[in-house]
Amino acid sequence: MATHDNTEHVSDATDEAVGWESKLQYFLNSDFVRSAPYWGIPFVLMSIAVYGGIGYNFAISFTDYEGLGTPDYSVLDLEMYAQALSSDAFIAAAQNNLVLLVGFTTICLVLGLFLAILLDHGIRFSEKFQTVYLLPMSLSFVVTAQLWLWMFNVESGILNLVVTTLGFNPVDWLGNPSIALGAVIFALIWQFSGYTMVVYLAGLQSIPDDQFEAARVDGASITRTYLRIIVPQLKEASVSAAVVLMVFALKAFTFLYALVGRYRPPNGTDILATLMVRRAFKFGEWAYSAAIATMLLIMALGVIGPYLYYQYKQGSL
Amino acid sequence: MAEHGCSDESVNRRKYLKALSVGAAAGLAGCTGGGGSETEATESGSGSDGSGGDTETGGDNSGSTWDSELEVLHGWAGGDGEAAVTALIEAFEEEHPEMDTNFQAVGASANVNLNATILRRLANNNPMSSFANWPGKNLERYSGALMDLEADVWDAEGFKDTMQSRAVELCKFNDKMPAVPIGSHRMNNLFYNTAVFEEAGIDASSLDSVDALLDALETIDQNTDVTPMAQAMVAPWTNLQLWAQILTSQSGVEAYMNFIEGNPDRAAVVEALEALKTINENYITADASSISFTTAGQKVISGKAATIHQGNWVYGMFRADDSFNYKEQWDWIPFPGTEGIYFYHVDSIVAPSNNPSREETVAWQKFVGSKKAQIAFNNPKGSVPLRTDIDPSELTDFLAMTYEDLTDSEAYPPTIAHGLAVTPKTMGACKTAFGDNFMGPFKVEATADALIEAVSE
Repeated sequence: MATHDNTEHVSDATDEAVGWESKLQYFLNSDFVRSAPYWGIPFVLMSIAVYGGIGYNFAISFTDYEGLGTPDYSVLDLEMYAQALSSDAFIAAAQNNLVLLVGFTTICLVLGLFLAILLDHGIRFSEKFQTVYLLPMSLSFVVTAQLWLWMFNVESGILNLVVTTLGFNPVDWLGNPSIALGAVIFALIWQFSGYTMVVYLAGLQSIPDDQFEAARVDGASITRTYLRIIVPQLKEASVSAAVVLMVFALKAFTFLYALVGRYRPPNGTDILATLMVRRAFKFGEWAYSAAIATMLLIMALGVIGPYLYYQYKQGSL
Repeated sequence: MAEHGCSDESVNRRKYLKALSVGAAAGLAGCTGGGGSETEATESGSGSDGSGGDTETGGDNSGSTWDSELEVLHGWAGGDGEAAVTALIEAFEEEHPEMDTNFQAVGASANVNLNATILRRLANNNPMSSFANWPGKNLERYSGALMDLEADVWDAEGFKDTMQSRAVELCKFNDKMPAVPIGSHRMNNLFYNTAVFEEAGIDASSLDSVDALLDALETIDQNTDVTPMAQAMVAPWTNLQLWAQILTSQSGVEAYMNFIEGNPDRAAVVEALEALKTINENYITADASSISFTTAGQKVISGKAATIHQGNWVYGMFRADDSFNYKEQWDWIPFPGTEGIYFYHVDSIVAPSNNPSREETVAWQKFVGSKKAQIAFNNPKGSVPLRTDIDPSELTDFLAMTYEDLTDSEAYPPTIAHGLAVTPKTMGACKTAFGDNFMGPFKVEATADALIEAVSE
């Protein structure tokens, strides 16, 4: 019935109408529209959930929103950013964040590479060792934080048991502000060096044995072989592992929160994420926290940006 | 061939999509239609119910029926707090068996999660019926989102006459009365392990000043293997709390009141910090910086530490251990130099405005202020009721003594570390003062500066 109507209509219509109709037909048949259900839905969901959230955070950071009530968008300025940048607490937290980022990532990479090279030499039970090293990564931060809290205890912790057996004075790992950040980084390295090891091991195993043999025939020492031939080929693995580690460093909030069960981490380990949550959910300073969050986002983009650019240059993006 | 197959497939896909959208449209229409007719049915149904026998029998059973669920958030998730809130809920459900209730314990560590959850829900305009929180200046946190219970609860039940006058004052906020007090902990305590004091040869009753306390701690350090004092420094509030006691003991209640009112005396602040520094450097356990007050309390029970200063929630903890009894294994004195003073702490139940269950909330808040509720809650909690008409024999020995002190002490300074004395922001700044400068190394001058700046703002 409907088809019949349609045919009548088309035969009666002017050229112009036909042109318009077929254009629409053409448009509806295009790949763009036909594929819309597949990319459109995720696109809309992502826009609302992720980019909408970021945009809202951005908008709030320009207001003076505080306490209960609704934000007032009539006066928008950068006051919160200025306030944060001139605050000692913010500077200290940003510094700690940077130290955590650089220290944790570097040591994890070096240690992971070292372990990977050892395992690559085909030692006995290497698969089992691999599992042992990787296992901490599968544990939740909540579990590892509690574990380390016990190990860091000044009186009964295992670390001080070792330290005192060696004849030194017990160390107040988490209580001494100049050591606390180091202790936290140490615990995080324990958890994540296994991951770098696995990434490097995969890289190492993809390098053909001929290269080792050729180097040996040429009389290169083992150190030289690794430094000049093998390690340079692990660039890809290093970059991808570094990015994952840095993102974890920015997310260290979970570990710190689980360590003490409150928003104020041990003295000297305050990072931007803990500062932000504390200002927001303890004091209701939404605008100020939003400004911190934006700067944290910029920091994270600063980490990811070069990686994306690198990938783009390599043609894999 | 391939092309043909492809177009064929695309036709199929298009048909499929069309069918899907038609189906969805039909479904949507069906739903709305169904919804509409359903609403009608319910309306007419309830109409007929109303005239039928069902509601009548309901009316016979009790005078009131409850429409909404009572949702109460609190932070008593473990130990004595959990036992206390369970007793309170049981007593309430006995009173109102037909009400739908939902009591939620949010987190355990010093209300951090509880306060964050409340703030988030109030900011999202998703209020609960009531929540547990400190009254006084602490209510500043929820400014503009609090319900007024003055007429419906305070006046209706005559609580203004039966509650302690200073508790009544603390429950007033911006000309409203959004809270009903449930219990009070005394803050100026010194709990000690009697065996250790005996071994060191210390007479607790002779401790009447901070200097006497420092001497006693030194004696314990010299004469026994026990650490003189247990202190928990995983969070800065314990230092703030102990410092406030030392300040009051050394320079008097007036100095403390001046401090919280924003007129600090720097010399007094520094003197108290010096004494606290002496204690923290010499007489506390080495792991203080990584333990909480519950672990610190355990050290007194196990005889590893001689004394502890804390709110008397520690009593709730001591009592849980059957082999550690009041007057036998442990004893109590007011913090040296603060005799005759009751350092005031109040827990209360607060109602937010825009309340989802007005009637139920009023009934619940009335219950919270009742004798039955205050006795049921406070005995297991280790705190004391704020009503003035409780028979002390209804309380345990230790609490009966505390209750008598609550009703006749010379001064009742409000606690600074627990929300009553200063706004949450100032309290946060005071904690930060200790957190940043007084966790070891102990910087007296820097801490004093930060404290004075915090209250002077």
